[in-house]
Amino acid sequence: MYRMSDSGLHPDALPETNEPLRIAVRRLRWFKSAFLRFAESTGADLGCTFAVDEARLAAAFLRWLKAIELQKPANKEERRDFFEFAAALMLRELTADMPIRASGPARHADAGSAAAFWPEGYCCTMFCLSVHSAAMAQEFQAVTELDPAIDDLRHWWSFRENALKDASFSSGFLQLLLGHQPNWKMPDVFRARIQDELA
Amino acid sequence: MTRQMLTPPDPVQLRDALRGLRFFLRRGGETIADTLNLEALPKPASNLAGAVLREVDGLARSVDGLASGLAKTLLGGQPPQVAQLDDLIAQPRSDALFAAAFYVALRSVLRRLGATSVFVSEAAARSAVETVALPDPTEPAAGYAAALTLALLEARVIRGTTAQQAALVPGAALEPVSIFAVMLWIQSERSEAENETALNAATDLAVALAPEVSAAFAARDGARITALFTRYVPHV
Repeated sequence: MYRMSDSGLHPDALPETNEPLRIAVRRLRWFKSAFLRFAESTGADLGCTFAVDEARLAAAFLRWLKAIELQKPANKEERRDFFEFAAALMLRELTADMPIRASGPARHADAGSAAAFWPEGYCCTMFCLSVHSAAMAQEFQAVTELDPAIDDLRHWWSFRENALKDASFSSGFLQLLLGHQPNWKMPDVFRARIQDELA
Repeated sequence: MTRQMLTPPDPVQLRDALRGLRFFLRRGGETIADTLNLEALPKPASNLAGAVLREVDGLARSVDGLASGLAKTLLGGQPPQVAQLDDLIAQPRSDALFAAAFYVALRSVLRRLGATSVFVSEAAARSAVETVALPDPTEPAAGYAAALTLALLEARVIRGTTAQQAALVPGAALEPVSIFAVMLWIQSERSEAENETALNAATDLAVALAPEVSAAFAARDGARITALFTRYVPHV
C-alpha cells in the first residue's frame, strides 16, 4: 500500500538537461515535459491517471515567470532564500488554476493520506518540492528535508480549503513543508517573508 | 529551326499556386458540407450534392498528389532548415530558406491551434524577408525579428482565417498568435531533437500571451514586439 511518507521526493522523475536546472526550469519545453512526466509517474504510484490541461499549465508557467521576475531580489546574498521562495510561487500558480484532474480516486494511496484526500494538490506540491530539491542539490549541494507536517492530514485539509479561496495560501504551505514559519498575512511576498524571519 | 528557351518555374510560386488550389477546393467542399444538410435533402438533390462533394474531395487529393510529386522531383523536396534565425539569415538564399522553414512551422502551429483550413503563403513569407534590411550583427536579433514579423503581417502570409471556426484562440487572435509563435520558436536556442517540443512550447506561450501579442500586432508596434521577443525567447 502506498503511504505518503514512502513517496519522498521524485527528482529522478525530472527529465535530463544539459543546462543548469535553474535555467531549464524557466524554459516552458522543459517545465512542461517535467510536469507531464511527474504527473504520469505520480499517477502510477497513486493508482490513478492525471489528465493535464496544457494550456492551463502554460498559463501557470507564464504567471510564475512574471512573479519571479517581479520579486527577484537584487541582493545576491538572498539568492538561496529566493530559490525556496520560487518553488512556493510555483505552487501558488499551479493551485490558482489547477492544470490537472485525476481520473478517479487514488486507489493505491492510504485512505487517510493527503494523496487520497486531494490527488491533484498532492501531485502539484510534490512536483514543486521535487524541482526545488533537485535545484538545491545542484546549486548548493544541499539536501532538502521536509517538515513532518507533510504527513499531517490536518495541514492538507487547511491547504485545500484555503488555497481554493486564495491561492497565495499555497505559497505559505510550501514554505511550511520546507521547515519555515511563513508570514501568513503575505505568504507570497518575498520581502515580507524575509522581514518576518529577521524579526 | 530555333529552340525556345524555357525558364525554370519559381518553385516557391509553384508550390503556393498548388497549395492555393488545394485550399480553394477544400474550403469549397467544407462550405458545401456546412451549408447543406445532406441527410435532410430530398432525392435527387442529396445524390447530386453527395456526388459534388466526392468530386471536390477527389480533385483536392489529385492536387495533393501532384504537389507531393513535384516536391520530390522538380522542386527538390529537401526538408526545410530549422536553424536559429540569426544563423538562417546569414546563409545564401536566406529569403527562400526562411520562407520554407516558416511555412512548415506555421502549418504545424495552426494545426496545434485547431486551425487546419487556413492558407499559408510561402511566397509572401519570402517577399516579406526581401523587404526588411538585414540586421547589423552587433544589434540584438529581436529588433530584426520584430521588423520581419510586421513585414510578414503586411504580406498576409496567412489567409482565409475569417471562416475558421475550430481555433483554440479567438478568430481575431489567430494570425498574431500563430505568427508570434513561429517567430518566438525560430529565435530560440534548441537542438535538432528539441525542435518539435520547442515549437509546441512557443505555441503555448503565444496562446498564454495572446492579449499582449494581439494588442502589439494591432498597433503595429515594433518596439513592443521587440520587447516581447527579448523577454520570452529565453523561456521557450
